[in-house]
Amino acid sequence: MRPAVWVLVALLATVVALVGVELGKGALHEPAPKLANPCHPRGGRTGGIDATIQRIVLDGLDGAACRLHTTREELVLSFAPETGIRRRWDQHTVEVAIRAGMLRSIDEAQRRGDLPDFAAGLARELVKRVPIDQLIRGGLSLRGLLGQ
Amino acid sequence: MKRTAVAAAVAIAFADSSIVVLALPELYGRFHTTITGVSWVITAYNLAVALTAFALVLFAHRVYAGRLLAAGLVVFLVASICCAVSESLAFLIAARSVQGIGAALLLAGSLPVLGARRWTIVGTFGLAVGPALGGILTQAFDWRAIFIAQAPVAALGLVGTIRAHPHEVVDERPRPLPGRVLPANTCLALLFGALVGALFLAVLLVISVWNYSPIGGAFVVSALPVAALAARPLEARLPRLVAVWGGAALLAGGLIGLALLPSASVWLMVWALALCGAGLGLAVPVLSNAALDLGPGLTRSGTLTVGARHLGLVLAIALIAPLLASKVPAAGDRALLKGTAVLLDAPIGLDKKVPVALDLRGAFAQARAGVTPDLAEPFNKHGAQHDPALAAARDKLLGAIESTITRASRSAFFVCAGFAALALVLALAFRRRLEMS
Repeated sequence: MRPAVWVLVALLATVVALVGVELGKGALHEPAPKLANPCHPRGGRTGGIDATIQRIVLDGLDGAACRLHTTREELVLSFAPETGIRRRWDQHTVEVAIRAGMLRSIDEAQRRGDLPDFAAGLARELVKRVPIDQLIRGGLSLRGLLGQ
Repeated sequence: MKRTAVAAAVAIAFADSSIVVLALPELYGRFHTTITGVSWVITAYNLAVALTAFALVLFAHRVYAGRLLAAGLVVFLVASICCAVSESLAFLIAARSVQGIGAALLLAGSLPVLGARRWTIVGTFGLAVGPALGGILTQAFDWRAIFIAQAPVAALGLVGTIRAHPHEVVDERPRPLPGRVLPANTCLALLFGALVGALFLAVLLVISVWNYSPIGGAFVVSALPVAALAARPLEARLPRLVAVWGGAALLAGGLIGLALLPSASVWLMVWALALCGAGLGLAVPVLSNAALDLGPGLTRSGTLTVGARHLGLVLAIALIAPLLASKVPAAGDRALLKGTAVLLDAPIGLDKKVPVALDLRGAFAQARAGVTPDLAEPFNKHGAQHDPALAAARDKLLGAIESTITRASRSAFFVCAGFAALALVLALAFRRRLEMS
C-alpha cells in the first residue's frame, strides 16, 4: 500500500480512538447529577444551625415530592413560573403535601437530636402558619427565628 | 482587482449559507418566534440559491456570464440592505429569499471570471468562515451588521464587474450536461448536508451553550478549515476514489464524535472537527472536479453543483430544525432540574444559596426570551471568587447544564453523520462513473 493510504488508515483509526475516549468519559450515561427518588431517604449535612435548617427544608421537600409523585427539583421550580416549569397540582394539594413533608422532617430532625424540643415545637407552628412560598425559599424565617 | 472584488462577493455568497447561525438566538428573541421559525432565515436563503441555480442550468448558456454576475450582485446588494432594515421575521425571510436568488446568479456568473479552482477554494473558505464572521459582527454590533457589512462587498464586486466590460466573458454553447456529473453532485449534496452538523450545530454549541465568545468559538471551529487545508497534500497522493471514500468516512466519523461529546469539552470537539475537516479536504476537491465540466460547459455545470450543494444544506436543515425544536426545550427543562439539584445539595450557607437561587431565576427567564444567560454571574456576584464551595457549586451547575444540553444535539449530529455515510455508500456504488469523470 502507498504511504498516503497508511496515513488515511491512521486518520480513520483516530476516529475509533475518539469514540473510545468519549465512551470512556461516559458519553452513553446520563450526565450527573441524577435526580434522586424523593421517597428514598438520603443523607444530608448536619452540624450548625444553617445545615440543620437546610436539611429540614430539603427533607420536607422530599416528603412533599414523594406524595406528589414528582422530584424535589420539579416541585421547587413549580414555585418559580419564570423558569417555565408549570405547576401540575392545585394550590391546596401542594400546601397539604409540603406542610406534611415539613412536619415529618421536623419530627425526624428532633429524633436525630438536630433540633431541640422547644425549637421543634416552634418550627411545627411555623410550618402550619407561614405561607408555603416563604418556606420553600430556604427557610429564612425559621433561620431568623433561630437567631442566625 | 476585479477578480479580488468578485472573489470577496463569492465568498460572502457562500458564507451567507451559515453567516446568521450565531445571530439566531438574537433573532429568536427579537422576533418572538420558534426554533423552526427562526431556522427559515437560513433555510430560505439556501432554498432560493438551490432553486434558482437549478432553473439557471436550463438557460445559463444563453446569457453572458458578466451580465449574470452584475445582475446577481445588484439583487444581492439590494436584498442585503432589505435584510438589514427588516422589522419583521416575514420580511427578513422574504429578503433572504431574494438575497439567495442574487447569490445564485452571482455564483453562476462568477465561475468563468474566477476559474473553477479559485471559485471552489473561495467558496469553501467563505462557507467555513461564515459562522465566525457573523458571530463577530453580531457581538460587536448586532444582527443587522451582518447584512450591512455585505452591501459594500457586493457594491465593490459590481463596480469591478462593470468596469471590466461584461461582454469579455464569452457565453457557452448549449450542450447536454454529461451524466457523469450526477453521482458527484449527489455525493456533494450529501457531504454539504453533513457539513450542517460540523458548521452550524458545532458553532451553536460552542457559543450558545458553552458560552464562548464568538472569537473564542471561531478559534475552536477553525480546526475544520485548518484540517481541510492540511489534508490537501494527502488528497493529491491518494487514488481519487480512495480520497472520496476516506473523506466521507472521516466526515461521518467526526460527526459521530460530535454526537457522542460527553460534556463541554473543547479538545474533544477540536479533535472531531479536525476529522470532519480532513474528510472534507479529501473528498470535496475530487468530487468538485468530477462535478465541473472544465470545458465550455463550465457555467452550467458550476450552476448545477451550486444547486446540488445548497439543496444538501436545505435538506439537512429541514431534517435537523424540527429535531432540535423537539429535543432542546425538553433538554432545557432537564438541565434546569439538574441545575436545581446541584444548587439544593450544594454545601453552601443559606445566606448565599437563597440570593444565588433568586438571581438564577432571572437568568433562566432571560433564556426563555432567547438570550443566552450568564449562569456564572449570580455565583460570582455573591463571592464565588473568594469562596471555594460557591465556586465548586457554580462549576458543577454549569457542567450539569452544559452536558445535558450538549446531548440534546446528539440525534441531529447522527442525522448529519448519516448524510456522510450515505455519500460514502453512493461513492462506492458509483465508483466506475466517478473514476471515469
